[in-house]
Amino acid sequence: MSGAVSETKRGWRLTGLEALLGLTAVVVIGQRWLVDSFTSPALQTGATIFVSIFVQALPFLVLGVLLSAAIAAFVPPTLLARALPRNRSAAVPVAGACGILLPGCECASVPVAGSLMARGVAPAAALTFLLSAPAINPIVLVSTFVAFPGQPQMVLARLVASFATAVIMGWLWLRFGRPEWLRMPSRTHLQGSTSWHTFRLTATHDFVHAGGFLVIGALAAAVFNVAMPPQWIDAMSANPLLAILAMATLAVLLSICSEADAFVASSFTSFSLTARLAFLVVGPMVDLKLISMQTGVFGRAFAVRFAPTTFVVAVVLSILVGGWLLT
Amino acid sequence: MSRELQGGILMLVGIVTLRVSWGTTYLNYVKEGMRPWLLLSGAVLLVLGLLAVIDAVRGRGDEDDPQDSEGESEGEPGDGHVHAHGGPRTAWLLLLPVFTLFVVAPPALGAYSASRDVTNSVAAPQLLPPLPPGDPVPMYLSDYVTRAVWEKGVSLEGRTVTVTGFVLPTQQGWQLARLQILCCAADAFTSKAQPTNLPAGFARPPADTWVTVTGHWVPGGGTESGTAIPLLEVESIVEIEQPVNPYD
Repeated sequence: MSGAVSETKRGWRLTGLEALLGLTAVVVIGQRWLVDSFTSPALQTGATIFVSIFVQALPFLVLGVLLSAAIAAFVPPTLLARALPRNRSAAVPVAGACGILLPGCECASVPVAGSLMARGVAPAAALTFLLSAPAINPIVLVSTFVAFPGQPQMVLARLVASFATAVIMGWLWLRFGRPEWLRMPSRTHLQGSTSWHTFRLTATHDFVHAGGFLVIGALAAAVFNVAMPPQWIDAMSANPLLAILAMATLAVLLSICSEADAFVASSFTSFSLTARLAFLVVGPMVDLKLISMQTGVFGRAFAVRFAPTTFVVAVVLSILVGGWLLT
Repeated sequence: MSRELQGGILMLVGIVTLRVSWGTTYLNYVKEGMRPWLLLSGAVLLVLGLLAVIDAVRGRGDEDDPQDSEGESEGEPGDGHVHAHGGPRTAWLLLLPVFTLFVVAPPALGAYSASRDVTNSVAAPQLLPPLPPGDPVPMYLSDYVTRAVWEKGVSLEGRTVTVTGFVLPTQQGWQLARLQILCCAADAFTSKAQPTNLPAGFARPPADTWVTVTGHWVPGGGTESGTAIPLLEVESIVEIEQPVNPYD
């Protein structure tokens, strides 16, 4: 696969597609050998968990991508800029609340936040939106509701803790942020010739972005599930504070799309609800793929300050809200 | 990554999603209710991918293709995406679940997962309605565990039941086990019962053999504990094929 990747990098247009066809042919021809070598129960179990997470998350991802593409194509961005209050401190919670209305996973919200800034929305408000949109939009809340049957308080806790984290981060940026840390992004390449064209370009773009990272998350979760001795997980989950930090760190490492993370969180049944809440609050705001995307869109000076601060604020808010709503 | 390549990957994901949810394979991974959504997502991805490929084949001169040089023009101020604009290299990873599903279609979770689950858990122990009249009563293994462990066997006394599960080898012999999923196989719970009074000369079937057991509850397996394993006195036992939906 790595050979194919480097080929697409320097090759001309069709090389990538040819690599894809070649790879498919190799897999089809090698099918017998692959099936025969696929007998270890640990490997089978890991593979089942891997594809299960992927299959379960897929419809949510498709729905999110279609909605975010529809918004990118059919809602004029100036409308959003005009809707915000002039006062910047007041604009922050309003932008955070707008996150509820604009569904999409974190991979889509990074460029949206960038284009909001480019259209004159105050950076603090755009950053609050960046954090809140993937964490508290309806698709994420519905999937959280589905993933935690009989525990609707989890949905409320996630909404409250995520919203509070996003707003606090916006206000922190107003108070301490410096314009030179930010680099202004552009997203012109997704402007199609018609709205429908823009819709398709955005949907395809957002799907391959989010989908690739979903695969990483599902794979990591499957490896974690199979390779980690059950006692080891229990040992981490026994200490309440350690459990919360472990789940928050795991959220950063797994980098799961926010539309699917509730299903993964609910599978860590030995952890307290507060620890799993930390996973759900941190995940959509700070994870490896977000840090790299933020570095790309807003610059490194921004990412090295923004990501760790968000992590700390999110963990603290999870502990507070978890203690309030989940005990 | 170019747009027609993205389209090709989208098509493959769409096709494999349709294939898995067209038949019954998807039941190894998710719950039955997901099926319409999987079919719909598969169709949407297939169409989006197809349109992207058609775009690329028909006209490559329009505005949707200056992306290929994007990777090299990274030094431009104000436009330093880490990934090339057309799509990130991580998109290749989408082929991993596609090929896994196409080629090996991993089986439903079984004895290996159950053996790692030290608890005998039911998702939410709750009061179940009285058993319907008539013996034997078919029931899920998880319901049997709930009735035997969390209701102390009250509703099972004097009744004959039929439960289905797979063989989970243990140090002393074997247990009847079945997994229950809430959303997908990543959150599987294990239900277990200990068969007793097996027919003379009955040899333990290999792990993951599916059996249907007709029998009745006897006390002694423990109650009201997440690790209690209720007993099931066997009257008859038959080997069966794996049920279409392998989970409770």
